[in-house]
Order: sequence, then structure tokens, then C-alpha cells
Amino acid sequence: MKKNRALILCFVLPCVFSLLIMFLYPTIRTFVMSFFKIEGITDDVSTWSFYGVENYAKIFGSSTYRKSMLNMGSIWLFGGVLTLSVSLLFAVILTSGIRFKKFFRAAIYLPNVISAVAMATMWIQYIYNQDYGMLNTILKKLGLEGVRWLGADMKFWAMLVAFVFGAVGYYMLIFISGIERIPQDLYEAATIDGANKIQQFSQITLPLLRGIIKTNITFWSVHTITFFLWSKMFSPVDTEATTIVPVVYLYDTAFGGKATITRDAGAGAAVGVTLAVIVLAVYFIVNKVVKDDDLEF
Amino acid sequence: MKKKAVSMMLVAAMAVSLAVGCGSNGGGASGSGEGKKYDGVTLNYWSMWNSNEPQGQVIQEAADAFSEETGATINIEWKGRTINEMIATALQANEPIDVFEDGYERITAQYKDYLYDLTEMAEAANYSDHSFACFNEKAIEGAGFLCCITEQPQVGGIFYNKDIFEDCGIEVPTTWTEFLAACQTMKDNGYQPMALDGAYADFFFGYHLDRIIGQDAISDLAVNGGWASNEGVIQAAEQIIDFVESGYLAEGAPDEYPASQNKMGLDQDVAMVVCANYVVAEVNNNTQTELNWGLFNYPEVEGGVDPTNAYAGANSLAIPSYSENPQAAFDFIMFLTQGEWDQKMADTASQIPADPSNTAPAVMDGTIETLNATTDPLDWNMGMNDNADLKASFKDTIIRLFEGQFATGEEFAEAMDALY
Repeated sequence: MKKNRALILCFVLPCVFSLLIMFLYPTIRTFVMSFFKIEGITDDVSTWSFYGVENYAKIFGSSTYRKSMLNMGSIWLFGGVLTLSVSLLFAVILTSGIRFKKFFRAAIYLPNVISAVAMATMWIQYIYNQDYGMLNTILKKLGLEGVRWLGADMKFWAMLVAFVFGAVGYYMLIFISGIERIPQDLYEAATIDGANKIQQFSQITLPLLRGIIKTNITFWSVHTITFFLWSKMFSPVDTEATTIVPVVYLYDTAFGGKATITRDAGAGAAVGVTLAVIVLAVYFIVNKVVKDDDLEF
Repeated sequence: MKKKAVSMMLVAAMAVSLAVGCGSNGGGASGSGEGKKYDGVTLNYWSMWNSNEPQGQVIQEAADAFSEETGATINIEWKGRTINEMIATALQANEPIDVFEDGYERITAQYKDYLYDLTEMAEAANYSDHSFACFNEKAIEGAGFLCCITEQPQVGGIFYNKDIFEDCGIEVPTTWTEFLAACQTMKDNGYQPMALDGAYADFFFGYHLDRIIGQDAISDLAVNGGWASNEGVIQAAEQIIDFVESGYLAEGAPDEYPASQNKMGLDQDVAMVVCANYVVAEVNNNTQTELNWGLFNYPEVEGGVDPTNAYAGANSLAIPSYSENPQAAFDFIMFLTQGEWDQKMADTASQIPADPSNTAPAVMDGTIETLNATTDPLDWNMGMNDNADLKASFKDTIIRLFEGQFATGEEFAEAMDALY
């Protein structure tokens, strides 16, 4: 038994050390940095000067940061409702015994295997383009006027729709795996008792998917908070407030944008800490609100 | 037994290959000839380009030619545009770098403490006669010494299709009034005067505002606010509102980059764009056309404080202060930025040569003269970027100005103040 313990330690220690060095150390360092005035991320500690909560005061006082948080909140709420609803709908349809299930499943998942850069370019150039984009071509064929899809007022929503399109397949697969775990007997019994499909969905499928829904909300939250590339693709050349999100704000603050020489690693760290707190808060709230341990099947 | 022998041989082979793979290449002979000036010297070059880009290809060819001539070995690491995310850390960690590229503003402001003073070597090489004074002065002003050598200069202004101007019988305008008259003539002749992508809306407006109140005043407003109480801001916004309402923007502008500027090549009925010189190569490449390009300075706004200054920027080369071979690194920089290789870089990448005695490619006609005449170049966005925190919001508000969302200059100025 003693030998076994030593062996277990030998296997576990490298992993623990790696975790401590590559995860815990940067986390603690970022937290500490957020209370100091620091220009560059790797500046020597001797050049740091204590700044109290000024970094937090700076970012919370910034209208650009507040806008980025608002954008992130909108992506989480509106994008989340849309993505999870549509993916759940597709999952239910694909597990209902329709023909060509494998084809549809692969087709809906396909955007996930395409590079996000290619996806964003396709949406910007071929769907939203004012002159030859698909949407305006359809509108013009219907005798309607073209819309400035990527104008200041519409750009955020255009980006969100494009992002949701790519994300649906991923969440759909998770829902499908959850639905396929539910015993068929339950549906057969419900059918014999006279329950229609909608009742079966609301009384059996949905309650038994609570664990999966919890997982998906957590994944979506992480997905939203790390939303970087789509924002960058929809604001070419330099960051625009319409599509800015906190990680882009963090990046610009820490590294400076196009032709910007100002860097503020301390404020960047403060943004990172606030995002970490949000992730933790979402995780705890979802765990508290969505209970999945009261049903067994 | 046989297995054991095979295993031993494999282990030996692996050890040898590891030893070879991990061995230092720093002090070894280059093998490119004996008695050359830099035999045995290895230079590590961090580039902001990728090896498949025209600039990267020229740099590689120049490095090979320099190696052949001097015996030095040049290891190029293609870091791409994100070099700015890693170079400061690399310099702090004394990474073995002998030459690196980045924008000169960042080099002079952020990395100066880690850089070699090039003053003496530059004097010995008579560098001032082969460079644009405005960049050298800016570098010395920012860092306190000559910390970098200009590699790829840029200049901003109004890039236009000369054929359209000729067709309309228009002379290059020098004042805002003349410019508006030229736009109207183009419109009357069935042309669309100005392309504009949202990405460059703040650059356009920054230029216009600079003409009225100057870059220092813009910087002050950007940092401290007070836009609505500045008459010049209101005047600039009113003039842009009039410009938009007159229909001088191309259809759909401000569009999503690069859709509007591409119309200059695709439709060839859009005459001008406010941008830096790389727009020429972008439009030509994107649309596979060869427009008859020209450049003129942003027109003077009557009664304004800055009638002539132009935006100028540059990608530059610098040498870390801990480099063991600064003279070899400097010689390579001179090799790349002057004479044959500078000309090749300008021709291949359609850009302005770093050495004014070289010739600008036809599409860059007029750029050398503009840069030579520039004494105090404007920054990108003419001071608005001095508020790094709000610049994204400035851009958004300015795009709305060009979209016609503000009825008056006061409304626009108040929207700018509301960002604080």
C-alpha cells in the first residue's frame, strides 16, 4: 500500500506542479498586478508601484469598458437564449427519429470545424456586404431597399447572429448526448398515458436535461467571456466600440492598439480579475439555481 | 541480443541527432567563405512580416546576399504583426536578438531603454543623407538618441485616381473650398468623389480637425474632453455633415473595410480615399487592377491653424543594447534600407523607399516629395489616439458622423463629450 502511495504521488506531482506553475501562479500574479501601476506585462517587480484600487476605478470609470461589458452581457443573454433554444430545438428534432439524422447533425456541426476567421470573413463579405451580400441581394429581389448591416447601429447584432450560427452545432451535440441518455420507456409510458409530443418534451425531456442545461450555460458563459476573435474580425484595422468586448479592451489596454504607445498592464490585470470573478459568479449562481440532483433515471 | 544491439544503435543515433539539433550555432563558422568581414558572426533578426509576404521575401533575399558578401549568418524569425506583444518581454529577458522591426512610435516610446544608441554608427555611415529627416528627428525627440533606422516609410493624404481628375479637368485642390468644388465637378460628371471605410473614418476626421485646430489641440481634447466648447470641433463636424449631405461619399460609405476603398478598383468610378500609402497596394491587390494613382496633401481649411502637415509613420529597425554584434547588425540594416535592396523592397512591395535618393514606384508618385517636405509629421488619428482608453469610442462616434446620424456639429461634439 505504501508503495502504491509513492507511485500515485509520482504520477500526480508533475501534474500538480504544472497546474501550480501554469495556472495558479499567473492567477495570483494577475490578481496582485491589478493593485499596482505597471506599464508592461513583464516589467520587473521593482518597477511596480502600489496603486490601491485605482486600476479598478479607472476601468469602471471608462465608458469604453462599460460598453464592452454591456456588449458581453448582450452576447450572453440574447446570444445565449438564441443559441441554447435553437440548439435544443435541433437536438429534439434530430433525436425524434427523422431520416438523414447523421447528415443533418454533421451539417449543423460543420461551422465548428471551419476556422472562425474564415467564418467571420464569409459573413462579412458574402452575407452582409451592402452591394453583393446575400441578404441585400434577397431584399433587392423583393423590391426592398438594401440595409447597412455593418453600420454602427446594426454591426453588433450582425456579429452576434454570425457567432450564434457557428455555435449552435456545438451545443446541439451536447443536448443530443443528454437526450439520448433518457430511457425510451419513459416516453413509451407517457405515450400510453396520452401525452402528446409537447407534453413529453416539457414534462420529461426538459426536466431530465437540467444537468445538461447547467453544463451548457456554464460553457456558454465561458464562451462569451473569451469572445475575442469575432470582435476583432468585425472591427478590422482597429477596435470599434460597437463590437468591443472586455477581452479586447484588456488586450488593447495591456498591449496598445494600432499606433497607440500607451500600455497599462495594471488596468489590464484588473479587467482580467473582474472577468474571473464573473465566471465564478455565473458558475455558483447556475449551480444554485439549476438543481439536477433531485431526479434519478 | 540482436534486439539489444539494435536498441543501442537507435539510442546512439538519437543521442547524436539530439546533440546536433541542440548544438549552438552561435560561434560556428558560417562556411560561406574565408576572410570575409563577418565570418563566424550570427545575427538574429526578428521580423514583423511573414516569409511569404513580399516584404518578407525581400528581407530573406537581402539577408542571403549580405551573408554571401560578409560571411555573417542571419537567422530570421518571422514573428508577424503581433511582434509588439512579445518584443518588450523578449528585450527584458535579453533574448538573443540583434535586429528587430516594429513601428517607430512604439520603438521610441516603449523599447528605448533596451536599445543601442545608433548615433555614432549612423554618422560614420552618413545615414542622414540617405534617410528622411522627419523620422530621425521624431526618434531622437522620443528616445533622446537615434534608436532606430527607418525601413518602410508611410505617408498619409488623399490618394486619387488621376484618370478621373483628368477626365473631369480638375487640378489638384489645395483648399477645402477648391476640394468641395472638385467633388461637385466629379459628381456632375457621374463619378463618386470619396471612398470611405469605417475603419478609417477617424483618420479622415482627424485630418480635417487638424487643419482647423491642430494636432496639439486635438490631443488635449482627447485627453481632457471639452469638445462641445471648442468652436473648431463644431466647425469641422458641420463641414463633414455638409460634405456627406452633398452626396460626395461613395455609395454605401462608410462601408466595412475594405469594401469602399475596393470600389476605386472594382467600379473605377470612385475617385479618392483618405488613407496612408499602403491603400494603393491594397486596392491594386484586392481588385487586380493598376489604377493611375496620385497623392495630394489634405487640403487647407481656410482660417485653420495647420494648413500643410501630413501624417507620416514608419516601420523601423532597432538593435538591442545587449547585442554582441551591433556593428554587423547596423551594417545589415544599412544594406537593407539603402541602395539596391531598398529599391527592391519599394518596387516589390509597392511602398516608399527608405532612402530618398531611391525612386518611388509609379503608384507612389509624389510620396518622396511629400515626406521630404514634412517637418513635423502628424500622428495616426492626429492626437485622438493619445486617449488610448476612449479611442474606440471616438471611432464609433465619428463613424456615426459620416453615417449622417448627427444633424449639427454641436450634437456631434456633445456626443464626444458624453464619452467621458
